[in-house]
Amino acid sequence: MIRLALGTLRQHRGAYAGTFFAALLAVALLAGGGLLLASVLTAKPPADRFAAATLVVSGDRAVTLEKVTTKEKKDKVKVKRKVKSERLTGAGSLPADLAGRLGDLPGVATAVADVAFPVQAGTSDGRPLRGADNAPVIGHGWASAPLTPYVLRTGEAPGPGQVVVDADLANRSGATVGGRLVVTTKTGVRSMTVSGIAAPVGRDGLPAQGALFVADAEVASVSGLPGPTAVAVLATPGTDPVALRAAVEKAAGKAPVLTGADRVRADLPGALPDYIGPISMFGFVIGITAFSAVFVLTGTVTLGVRQRLRELALLRASGATPGQLRRLLGVESVLLAGFAALPGAPLGVLFAHLVAARFRDLGAVPAQFVVRTNVIVLIAAAVAGMLVTFVGARIAGRRAVRIAPTQALAETANAPTGGLVVRAVLAVVTAAGAVALLIFVPLDGPLGMGMSFVSSALLLCTVAALGPLLIRVLTTPVSRLVGLGGATGWLAGLVTRAEPRRVAAVAVPLVLMFAINATMLLNSALIDDLTAQEQVDRTASATAQVTAQGGLPLGTVEKLAALDGVTGAAATLPTRAIVEQGGKPEDFATQGLLVAGDESALDLDLRAGTLPGTGAFAASEYITDQYGWRLGDDVPIWLADGQQVHLRLAGVYARARGFGDLALPADLVAAHDPRGLVSTVGLRYHGDVPDQIAASWPELRLTPTLGAAPARDAQNQQGAWELMVVISLGFTAIAVVNTFAIATAARRREFAGLRLVGATTGQLHRLVGREALITVSAGLALGILVTAIVVGAFSTAQDGTPRVFVDAGTYAAMLGGVAALGLVAGVVPARVLLGRRSLPALGDGR
Amino acid sequence: MRNSGMNAPARRPVVEVLDVTKTYPGGGGARALDGVSVAFEAGSFCAVMGPSGSGKSTLLHCAAGLDRPDSGRVLLAGQDIGGLREPQLTQARRRRVGFVFQSYNLMDALSVWHNILLPQRLAGVRPDRDWAREVMRRVGLTGRENDRPGQLSGGQRQRVALARALASRPEVIFADEPTGALDLSTGREVLGLLREAVDSTGTTIIMVTHDPSAAAWADRAVFLADGRIVTELADPTAEKVAAQMMAVTVR
Repeated sequence: MIRLALGTLRQHRGAYAGTFFAALLAVALLAGGGLLLASVLTAKPPADRFAAATLVVSGDRAVTLEKVTTKEKKDKVKVKRKVKSERLTGAGSLPADLAGRLGDLPGVATAVADVAFPVQAGTSDGRPLRGADNAPVIGHGWASAPLTPYVLRTGEAPGPGQVVVDADLANRSGATVGGRLVVTTKTGVRSMTVSGIAAPVGRDGLPAQGALFVADAEVASVSGLPGPTAVAVLATPGTDPVALRAAVEKAAGKAPVLTGADRVRADLPGALPDYIGPISMFGFVIGITAFSAVFVLTGTVTLGVRQRLRELALLRASGATPGQLRRLLGVESVLLAGFAALPGAPLGVLFAHLVAARFRDLGAVPAQFVVRTNVIVLIAAAVAGMLVTFVGARIAGRRAVRIAPTQALAETANAPTGGLVVRAVLAVVTAAGAVALLIFVPLDGPLGMGMSFVSSALLLCTVAALGPLLIRVLTTPVSRLVGLGGATGWLAGLVTRAEPRRVAAVAVPLVLMFAINATMLLNSALIDDLTAQEQVDRTASATAQVTAQGGLPLGTVEKLAALDGVTGAAATLPTRAIVEQGGKPEDFATQGLLVAGDESALDLDLRAGTLPGTGAFAASEYITDQYGWRLGDDVPIWLADGQQVHLRLAGVYARARGFGDLALPADLVAAHDPRGLVSTVGLRYHGDVPDQIAASWPELRLTPTLGAAPARDAQNQQGAWELMVVISLGFTAIAVVNTFAIATAARRREFAGLRLVGATTGQLHRLVGREALITVSAGLALGILVTAIVVGAFSTAQDGTPRVFVDAGTYAAMLGGVAALGLVAGVVPARVLLGRRSLPALGDGR
Repeated sequence: MRNSGMNAPARRPVVEVLDVTKTYPGGGGARALDGVSVAFEAGSFCAVMGPSGSGKSTLLHCAAGLDRPDSGRVLLAGQDIGGLREPQLTQARRRRVGFVFQSYNLMDALSVWHNILLPQRLAGVRPDRDWAREVMRRVGLTGRENDRPGQLSGGQRQRVALARALASRPEVIFADEPTGALDLSTGREVLGLLREAVDSTGTTIIMVTHDPSAAAWADRAVFLADGRIVTELADPTAEKVAAQMMAVTVR
């Protein structure tokens, strides 16, 4: 049978080449996306700041909750334990006396307390200090320098008012011993003198973090931390590591004790490259590409099999059983996909490297991120490609192999119709799934974008399942319209109406291309618009917004609010906080909020209650709804350093976009957020306040509005998002062209027949053009429908306004782009096919 | 009542092939047609006979303007189609020529009725519906207008192809093994219809076949071997044609 399969290869070059190409691309995309995801999941921290320590006791780095459910079944009692944790953005601190207690243990040479805290440092002329690849600068007490170890290159250890910076930071900023740096932490702005320059052995600094050391006596006052974030233990030589660990664990109580490669986890979360964002982003990339790849590949395989019905019928006529045909299709598809995987997998590696490089440039992944080629992922991608091709061929062949042998004698074989029940069931299930998602998932929440993508994917499956039926309904009016244009139009109308399956096979990739990409683009544009609008509305009442490079301490805000002429001030201090529901901790973007003065400088659009004050907080409508809180409820909240506080819900606000879902008292946030700096102060004033600010705080910037100034993170996400749309557009565009080419290649006979009854080549070109017009119109109509459902639901969930177009420019560009691509893809393959021979082969196919 | 072309020399030829040569690339230099000259009179039914590879299909393609001869001239109703380029060649062909093929060449997407009218629509002329209905009646397809070719038997499909050829009132119909895919009695019916078209409407039919009994329906049979016309028979009968074929094949 396999020789038979290979023997037929030559005759159906078009279909085979198309399937091969689709399988190749699908494997490449799956492999690429898989490699990216595997690489972020297994990404190792680039360096261990505790390399010289034997073991490290770490403060809390996550909130971990355990939920115990007891189920009684007859006489058995089942106890289920579910442990869920959420990473902290800050670091919990350890008791101040822990280092002393550990130091007294046998086998411990020294126990060193490490107080790590992010600092905002700058040269005296205002240039900020950043490490390699824009890495943050982390402050430490000088005592922790030996843990890496950092060794002084020049100068001396820091005394009061002095700092030591690493050689890398010194090189970048031009700081020299004796120079001055402006060091901002949440406890204030200080001008400090560089007393020395240190470096780890063999290099200028650690990757991904710059180091700034202050005197041990000053570390508490500069950092504002109540205790060390970690305590490192250096053992005396010859100590039994197991016994030492046991002793340290006993002394440390609940705090985790880390050894070996785990030691790095005791570092400050902000000091390590953050792979949480990239994981969800690459998860999304692989979700989109996997769906598109599988969707397109299945369609291509089905089309390829359907075009060979005549040959299958001939095989049936020459004695092949349906079982043999099924095996033939199966073996052939696996071989084809297997060969496609050979170039596909390396292409996937290349794809992963290109995307990673672009994401690194955009800052969407840490600069230290590298793609590691993982053979298992490559094999999995190849197997997935083969499996999809195999299943697609078997499904398409399900009906084809039952073809009557007599059909072989017919001019063109028609597969027995049927499978209507399967199609209907598939359509109902996927449509119901999509509708359920759109209705029951809160689309205005963090899952909104992902779920709107999933529901449009499901609706696309519905369209694919109902393809021929929908196409028949749509082509009837469209083709009549197109049919008004003479003989070719009339013929195009008849042909497209007569072959809804072929038209559907070509139109469905167009629906995919439009719906998937338009949904992504329009939804993100909508979120951007709404966020920008809410930002404007929130800050409209303020006269001006005050910002500083990296942020300003809360103490400065209080002085600003007290300036002569200031009638209102509102300071926001960004952080993240964790709340719990059903034993599952989840973190949310949060603002510490300080409001002063008689007049409001920030309008959160309070729906109920008041703004946060001592012991009280406010929450967005979304989170209040999700967590079922009511005004006056006492809610446990974990702050950035893992400290749990109980706050009373004092108010509910509506304008949460670009702000956060929780608003806590600013002093509480400042005390527990590692950075603890105010990002923006809205001021309402009259008189010469700007002059006063310029005189007292030259580093502060005063701008009338702060509408379009997204945070750095948001910009990175935007860039990454655009790249994802480009990848998705590219792949779906290739799918459209590929499908058109396969469909056209199989029409050689039909075109020859038309030429014989008197059609000129020009007429055939016009015919194909009209057919493409009908196909593209039908495809776009379905694409518009899917997009309208998803975007409409998404938009309604955001602010109650159903929108379909959102951004007319984007919409028109998508529509025009997809239409143009479809028309070109429809016309060009026929030109190539017809251009090769001016006259048709007579009785071609004999 | 057969009209023999040989007995009416005054009739003008509708297709004239003059000293046509044709060599296909890759054929080892062997000529498919080697200086063939033949004329087909209007209103006659001529069979082109010959063993496989004798060049009979090539002759039909060249005469019908489907293929271009390497040298020589082809006159279609007096017009030299050798010098025509696309799309003028196609336009000339669809105005004057109809085709009937062994493999029918019907559009599956179109109903019987639309298939029959297709050449006229492509030519941009108003389809003569009354004549098309009359043609359908003559070939026995009345009532099958809305069927798809896929629903018809082989004989019925060939009738559709014949009706399509007749409906545009061509000056000449080229038929390439029209009974090749049909059983004996169905084939006979189709040949009867071809004969009737010649007799009642004065159509010219040039038919390529290798079947002596099919050739017996013609007024004249031309025999080809190795790209040359070797002989011809007027008023052929199956026996005479079979004997001649034997002679030609043995050569």
